[in-house]
Amino acid sequence: MASEPQKALLFAAAAAVRLLLFTAFPSLPSLLAGRVEVSTPVTSFKRLQEGLFLYTRNVSPYDGGVYHQAPLLLPLFSLLPNPSYSPFATNVFYTMVDLLSAYALMQIANSGQATVTRLFTSSRKELRWSSVAIAAGFLFNPFTVATCIARSTSALTNLFILTAMAKASQGATITFVLSMAMASYLAMHPVLLFPPLLILCYDVQSTKMKASPHTFRFIATHSRRLIIALGALLYLSKLLTGSWDFLGATYGVRLLLPDLTPNVGLWWYFFTEMFDSFREFFLGVFWLHVASYMPGLTIRLRKQPLFVATTLTGIFAIFTPYPSIADAALYLSLVPVFRHLFPLMRYTFLASSSILYTSFLGPAFYHLWIYAGSGNANFFYAITLVWSLGLSVIVGDSLYAALRDELDVERPELRGKEVKRI
Amino acid sequence: MALISTLLALRKDARLLKIPPYLSALCIIVGVVWLLVLPLQEYSRNTYVSENALLPGQVHTYFTGSEHNIFRAYRHEVASLGDRTTQERNQRLGDILRSSNLKVATQKYSYATSGRNISDENVYAILQGPRADATEAIVLIAAWRNMDNEINHSGVALVLTLARYFKRWSLWSKDIIILISGDSTSGPQAWVDAYHNSHNPETIESLSIKSGALQGAIAIDYPAGPWGHRYDKLHIVYDGVNGQLANLDLFNTAVSVASGQMGIGCTLQRMWKHDDSYKERLQTMLRGMISQGVGHASGPHSSFIPYHVDAITLQTVGDGWHDEMSLGRTVESLFRSLNNLLEHLHQSFFFYLLLHANRFVSIGTYLPSAMLIAVNFSITSIALWVASGRAGKIPNPASTVPPATPGEKSTSSITTKTPMTVAKKDGMIALIPTALLQTNERALFLPLAFVLATHFLGLLPLYIFNNTHSSYLDLTFTIVALLSTLLPHLTAFSLKRFSRPTEQETILIQCFSLLLLGMFLAALATLNFSLSVLIGIATSPLTFIRSTKNKPVSGALSLLLAVLNPMVIIRGATFYFGQDIMSVLVKAAEGWHVWGLWTQVVVWLVWWPAWFAGSVVVSGGLFA
Repeated sequence: MASEPQKALLFAAAAAVRLLLFTAFPSLPSLLAGRVEVSTPVTSFKRLQEGLFLYTRNVSPYDGGVYHQAPLLLPLFSLLPNPSYSPFATNVFYTMVDLLSAYALMQIANSGQATVTRLFTSSRKELRWSSVAIAAGFLFNPFTVATCIARSTSALTNLFILTAMAKASQGATITFVLSMAMASYLAMHPVLLFPPLLILCYDVQSTKMKASPHTFRFIATHSRRLIIALGALLYLSKLLTGSWDFLGATYGVRLLLPDLTPNVGLWWYFFTEMFDSFREFFLGVFWLHVASYMPGLTIRLRKQPLFVATTLTGIFAIFTPYPSIADAALYLSLVPVFRHLFPLMRYTFLASSSILYTSFLGPAFYHLWIYAGSGNANFFYAITLVWSLGLSVIVGDSLYAALRDELDVERPELRGKEVKRI
Repeated sequence: MALISTLLALRKDARLLKIPPYLSALCIIVGVVWLLVLPLQEYSRNTYVSENALLPGQVHTYFTGSEHNIFRAYRHEVASLGDRTTQERNQRLGDILRSSNLKVATQKYSYATSGRNISDENVYAILQGPRADATEAIVLIAAWRNMDNEINHSGVALVLTLARYFKRWSLWSKDIIILISGDSTSGPQAWVDAYHNSHNPETIESLSIKSGALQGAIAIDYPAGPWGHRYDKLHIVYDGVNGQLANLDLFNTAVSVASGQMGIGCTLQRMWKHDDSYKERLQTMLRGMISQGVGHASGPHSSFIPYHVDAITLQTVGDGWHDEMSLGRTVESLFRSLNNLLEHLHQSFFFYLLLHANRFVSIGTYLPSAMLIAVNFSITSIALWVASGRAGKIPNPASTVPPATPGEKSTSSITTKTPMTVAKKDGMIALIPTALLQTNERALFLPLAFVLATHFLGLLPLYIFNNTHSSYLDLTFTIVALLSTLLPHLTAFSLKRFSRPTEQETILIQCFSLLLLGMFLAALATLNFSLSVLIGIATSPLTFIRSTKNKPVSGALSLLLAVLNPMVIIRGATFYFGQDIMSVLVKAAEGWHVWGLWTQVVVWLVWWPAWFAGSVVVSGGLFA
């Protein structure tokens, strides 16, 4: 458990860094908000401002075809003063969002669900970092800071995902379902986290109450609650915008990828090259690919649901249509919770070096392509491939480590033996 | 799969750890040799014009005869303006341009750097192309003062004559902008910044008239006085700020027009005599690389290149028999070629090294050398990472050296002191020291924090040098150089007081520092190849230094590193090239504030921290 002064110091330092960056470099937020690595068409703050402008003038925010984010963000941000003139309130808001996310991350770390679950106890459970260290890793991660300074709305999505995980690992079902609904409402794909987190929630409740709740009833109740919560959010959005049009402009864009602005993901280049007749087919294949990890991982790693959810955030950071460094930041901050797996991982240096190299080569190649005009799209795409490779290596390697950790418990006699593929 | 398990088995091999230093050395040697073979006939190519629309030298030029009289008259006009104020001068130049029926405007600018105030005024005119729709424009520049601070008499007069001459033609399908800038670097910078609305309107006036997207720019530097001077060759300057280059097609067109159509020899990189021999090609290439690496503005054209406007400067050099009219005809033919362009120059190379006016090496051929040099750091860093995970020295179990205490049996020392693991494979049994199979936990915090802090420390000199008054720059340089020589020892000494870093942490400090250096240089190689190579070579000894407890060796290594201090190297380089350190620093500060020069960022945030971390690692041995 972390001491209170440490926590306070960490939060104060993180808030100070953010507010200092906001005030010392007034042009930094808009510079970062324009970077394709940080802001995607579905999370960009500039587009949010465009939507706000239309909304405050009683025009449908989706009319311009620029705004693709959830309608409920609009009343929230219209409460804040206009960031073009007085950005302070918005800056404080985003700083708070990051601090709350860190708080949720600390709850996840403190719950100990990473090492000890109902059905599984890792043999390396003593090996863990304090929750303050993990929260510091999140708060001072340059990717998180960049997301916060760029005021990308993925910071909000990350907050709700982390809160959902935290609440699930505490067994607080109502808040879990509510934050799950918010995360899914904002970004759609987090809904895939529901099954593993529901298992986590079930496990925690079982341990707490010393008796398992009725499995089927538990699933049915919570799924129904999620549907009700989501339905309520969507209906509220409909009331707000006056029609169901927002569905196409928000989830439709995420599903069908009409905006091919470059990002750090793998979809945009592929779909710029695609003949139109194949587009629907490959959209289906790509989405199926993303979604297919959830059932497989949930079943195979049934005993470690928190690890499944973490790995899924990594999968989202690689394979969703509009990923940004914010998604990578979320995954990379969750990985240290599984400190006990690190001794089993084999490619940490390789993976972290490739992430490091690409975070510098990416902007350099983007500069060559867009500003210097001496490169082309392939330069940037090559780097996004390496970036995704680096993340995939971490995902794959940590999966290997988790399975190996399970094996060490199941077959203690194999401990320390080299694995062989058969 | 078999391959992976073989590789995994191989990484346990102790011999593998011995390879990386040799591999790194090989990378450096191959990288440098690679550079040296580039000027050979087999590795370079003849230049060629890639863009078909350019058709260089395919038109007849008519800039002759009576235009010469007008030129002479303008030259005397310009000569009479030499001692006037900027205001009067630009008034008169504007009148001349206005008398050719052009739209004229002026732009005041002022920059403050190192306590100096650079302020002057640009005057420019727009010739609306009769067949143009004001969406595209090409620029003809003559700076009032050239790079050597001489008044560009004939250059300005020629531009005025050409403006009057071009106005009479009906074939222009692009607007032509005539720019007479106050000086050769900040004037064009202020103008091109304002043209693209990225200026600071408080100190730089906005442009009152504009045309379309700039497609190319040609600057003329011909400082001959009122009675003219016949020149021998055209010196073509093509490198822009931060080592970005103009499209090779523009350079080729200029060479093709000047030497092919007009019979004027072309030269580059101040190689006044060039016999196309290996030595001269190499010299040209190295001069080009140094100029590109420094990234300074080399002429009025330099400011245009960062805006993706291809630009070159034509400079007259030597004593010969070519007169101003042949230069005018060259420019006319060049403009006719640019006028043909249907789209922005994109066909040819943006990354090249020129060896001769018609010989070049393209990026595909030369990039591997910079990458090899950058990769050597990454290889060493990986090796150091692996080494940091190994336990200290493992006694050789098969050693026959008798144990230190005479009473003990040698066999028992193996079994009691060295834990062994039994490995069975294919019916054979082997005893392996367990330490060889284990990976130590790495203490990452101190090395990471140290390397990051080192890189942030570089911000301090960066700020100091860019914001010091010019009269103190010399002194500041000496003080900072002294401090930066002493600082590694002080740091190592104070760290040792806390008995840190441990052996493993020392290895990790070097590992992370080299990892970052390799990464920065690889990224830099794609942006500014030459700078990456130059810094890579200057830092290459950092790969081979190791922390050692042997004091004489540590002392010798510290001395070597003291010589490799970036500040010592910079001082040495300025001395070698006969430059004054003060003027270099003033130019660098001007570059930072005016041209957007990034070289000092690379020096202070990449080169210096890498050197500093290496020095601390070595210096630790002195205080062990």
